[in-house]
Amino acid sequence: MRRGAISRGLAAALFAGAVPLIPASPAAGDPAADGGKLFATSCGWCHSQGGRVAGKGPKLAGTKRSDEFIVNRIKTGKQGAMPGFAKTFNDTQIAQIVHYIRSLKDE
Amino acid sequence: MRSKSRWLILSTILATGATPALAQTQPIDSARLEAADQNANDWLTYHGSYKSFHFSGLDQINPDTVKNLEVAWMHFPGRTTRGLQSMPLAADGVLYYSGSYSRVFALDGATGKVLWSYFPELNEDLIAQQTHSPYNRGIALGDGKLYIGTVDGRLIALDLKTGKPAWDTKLINSEKLTVGFTGAPLFVRGKVIIGSQGGEWPGRGPIFGVDAATGKKLWEFITVGGTDEAMKTWGNDSWRTGGGGGWMVGAFDPAANTVWWGTANPSPLYDWSGADWQTKGPRPGTNLYTSSVIALDPDSGKLKFYHQELPHDAWDFDSAVGEFLMIDRDGKQLVVHPNKSGFVFVYDRKDAKLENVWRLIDNINFVKDIDPKTGELVGRRDLSEGKVAGVLCPAIDGGVSWNTGAYSPKTGLYYKIGNEWCISLEVVKTTPITEPMAQLNIGANFKLSPPPNGPIYGHLDARDPVTGAKKWEVRYPQPPLASVLATAGNLVFVPDATGILHAYDAQDGKELWSHNDGLGHVGGIISYAAGGKQYVAVATGWGSLVGDDYAGVFGEPFKSMPKDAGALIVYSLK
Repeated sequence: MRRGAISRGLAAALFAGAVPLIPASPAAGDPAADGGKLFATSCGWCHSQGGRVAGKGPKLAGTKRSDEFIVNRIKTGKQGAMPGFAKTFNDTQIAQIVHYIRSLKDE
Repeated sequence: MRSKSRWLILSTILATGATPALAQTQPIDSARLEAADQNANDWLTYHGSYKSFHFSGLDQINPDTVKNLEVAWMHFPGRTTRGLQSMPLAADGVLYYSGSYSRVFALDGATGKVLWSYFPELNEDLIAQQTHSPYNRGIALGDGKLYIGTVDGRLIALDLKTGKPAWDTKLINSEKLTVGFTGAPLFVRGKVIIGSQGGEWPGRGPIFGVDAATGKKLWEFITVGGTDEAMKTWGNDSWRTGGGGGWMVGAFDPAANTVWWGTANPSPLYDWSGADWQTKGPRPGTNLYTSSVIALDPDSGKLKFYHQELPHDAWDFDSAVGEFLMIDRDGKQLVVHPNKSGFVFVYDRKDAKLENVWRLIDNINFVKDIDPKTGELVGRRDLSEGKVAGVLCPAIDGGVSWNTGAYSPKTGLYYKIGNEWCISLEVVKTTPITEPMAQLNIGANFKLSPPPNGPIYGHLDARDPVTGAKKWEVRYPQPPLASVLATAGNLVFVPDATGILHAYDAQDGKELWSHNDGLGHVGGIISYAAGGKQYVAVATGWGSLVGDDYAGVFGEPFKSMPKDAGALIVYSLK
């Protein structure tokens, strides 16, 4: 269901002629698990408990933000609050991180 | 004598209306810097003097007069993202300080009048990618110049009288490595020494020596695998991405011509090797010279000796934090250095041989103990992949944080903030990063948590710096993150997290005065004299990787506290 939401967002973006935000075929394997490793590498300091609770950064589990918003926020950051990771992660990796965020249970 | 003659000149100039910057004063050279503790009017280096006491010999403000302390003037540097985190300096009645984005100001110490300012043009695209940015923690003075690092990897020298750039040297490829300089430089006998950021960043943490006259790089000491001996302590070529930056300023022992510097933790912060850390995991081995105190020859940058406080640091407890108190006692010349773990190390100054190790904080469980004779970590709690049982103490934010304590030679007491907090943690087996690149390398998910036996709190301790014996303690519900100032007026000043500046009796910890600065404190505090009058200058403004957790943990006033504001607030007696 969540992956479906990402795919629908991608389809809409492609239909509109936009650059795809989430690649249609993320790297082989479990994209959410791969995204989880990336998250623990670079994101977990600020997004506490793997993004499950609010810390330095906001809680991400159950976020109502769109895929497009999240991808853009990961790439460009927020001045004075979050760095941009456009040069750190490629589109596939960012898609994996979004999959990971969508996999978090909103407890 | 020299001090008196300088004051005569200054008084004459002030009487005629000239600005302090035009005063014909003695140059700030090595001789003056090495005798800085003998001139109470100035505050010439980050740590006050090479002895690193953070002590002012001024005593106009004391237990009898402190009730009359009030704001004399303020200065707003602007663009104060993540608060004003720097330590001001003062010389000949002029106050110098830096703000976020390495903005520099020279102000009349008595009035706050701007004498000059300098705003470097920085790589803003790079800053937008940095986590530990854009704050600046301080400057150095020496040989007619002021020195400041930048987050885009440069060291800049400004003419002390005009603020005009004298040289601007790029030392790090920040565009590739993301890290730059936020720590203050150290001026040592015609050289400027500065360490780069980077514990959790996959670089090799260099410390640089630069010619103060020309800006030419003289040497570079690589803190990660920088010697043949050290290279062998990183399995699987993990030295390529080892972290270990010397991100806070060190100290200088003039008698031995030795620079003391602390290094950061290795990268990734946490690894999954558990008890097999010597042979397995992302960085097998002891990982020299991370989480170490190193002694360098300032002329060559060569390593003289070292002590690795935490071999194979698996908990992010840097040695980069912390002052280097040069204490002489019972015929011994010692160095006292707090580690982020909450342990305080006492060394023989000639070779870093351990004299003692003592605990500043109560909540420590990453080891059972550190042997005070050998430095061995007893009962290491090495972590494996998965959720860690209970909580790990202290928290990643440190049993001590980056700001400094103070030592009073009058009371013989060391005043230092300790933090009682822990984290709940899950270690994740991440994909090893094998090439230096722009990527934070943590290796875990975690959350700030209370200690097992009660809520989070911080405390100011007054202790013997060598034995750790405690004389008194003041507690705070929210750990203070700013530096501490001790004075010959028998006062200890603590700028706390909520915005209150406290003055305590240095003998017994009784609070004698306080004032609300309206913003939290995460920076420095000094005392100096201008026109024969004592001032206390404190940096205000909230933010930082530690402070950013406070809103979620403590609520107000942090929930609504701006993280893009700050001012230098200067106090004097009515």
